[in-house]
Amino acid sequence: MAQQATGGPLHVSVITPEGSVFEGSAESVVIPAWDGEIGILQGHAPLMALLGEGQLRVRGHRETERFFVAGGFVQVIDNVVTVLSERTAVE
Amino acid sequence: MANSQEIKGRIRSIQNTRKITRTMEMVATSKLKRAQDRVQAARPYADRLEGVIRRLMTPEMAARYPLLRQPKEPRRAAVLLLTSNRGLAGAFNANLIREGRLLVERLRGGGIEVDLHIVGKKGINFFRFQQEQLATARTDLDERPSAEDAASLIDPLMEAFVGRELDAVYLVYAQFHSALSTPPTTQQILPVEPPSQEEREAASDVDYILEPSADQILDRILPLYVRNSLYRGMVETAAAEQGARRTAMKAATDNAGDILEDLTRTYNRARQAQITQEIAEIVGGAAALE
Repeated sequence: MAQQATGGPLHVSVITPEGSVFEGSAESVVIPAWDGEIGILQGHAPLMALLGEGQLRVRGHRETERFFVAGGFVQVIDNVVTVLSERTAVE
Repeated sequence: MANSQEIKGRIRSIQNTRKITRTMEMVATSKLKRAQDRVQAARPYADRLEGVIRRLMTPEMAARYPLLRQPKEPRRAAVLLLTSNRGLAGAFNANLIREGRLLVERLRGGGIEVDLHIVGKKGINFFRFQQEQLATARTDLDERPSAEDAASLIDPLMEAFVGRELDAVYLVYAQFHSALSTPPTTQQILPVEPPSQEEREAASDVDYILEPSADQILDRILPLYVRNSLYRGMVETAAAEQGARRTAMKAATDNAGDILEDLTRTYNRARQAQITQEIAEIVGGAAALE
């Protein structure tokens, strides 16, 4: 079910109640937070934020994975990005 | 001794039954595998959510969240009982119903009014037969519960709890330890139990940037947590049902095998006795002619 790693220094997981939707590494991640998009690069400070509705972009070496998320939560710590959302869809 | 025709009939009937139970066992085994995977898949989300709440919640904050409200004198509680739509799973449903019934009795004994919310035909039939009024009776959730199913069940209860119409919500479900161990369990879903102090200290050593604020994050995360508690209960119960059915059907298949062995032996003995008797008659007849 989990998709392939795309390469990069960040470890990203996108998790729904039913299971993991994405698990892999990335160069950067753009998160649709409650009040606008947040970009995450390597070495980001620890962060917990609520998500709004929008596109979650996980940019790897070559390709970018795009997900739609509506509500949920993101946690960033030690280059590990965890996105929890009840509703996600791969775009 | 029964005549051989009768025994033959019974053998055939038991062979057919064994065919059915063996098929059901195999079906349950394959469904169990998939249900088990879903239990596994649900774990990371639940663990992370719990971690976040543990990290952000302080005991002083507890009083401010409607979902954590600890009523002094509970007057009305909801009991959410998960059972299955189908039987032939051994004592699976009976155990769940007993657990639910005891809980209801205990609550009523404490002077608390109880609303019954029941999932699964087996539980519904039992409580209807007891002349109980059911606040919810759902038969549409079965083998593959989704997070939305859980939300559709629990959201109205959360609203009622926040609106102070309900003072507690209990979930009765089958915990899934393994295919052989699926104990019926009561879990208090609302009010949410705040994590204990020692657990909290271990978790809180990093200084997070919080967007928008711990308060607001918790406000949005707690309902997710409540929904997820129910969702997990539902997937575990679904897996437990398949496990219980597999065990029950395996026992039935084995028993059928034992009975068949006995009957075959009896049948052969009867057949042999008949042959012996016929030979004796022929020999006797021949001797009489000489």
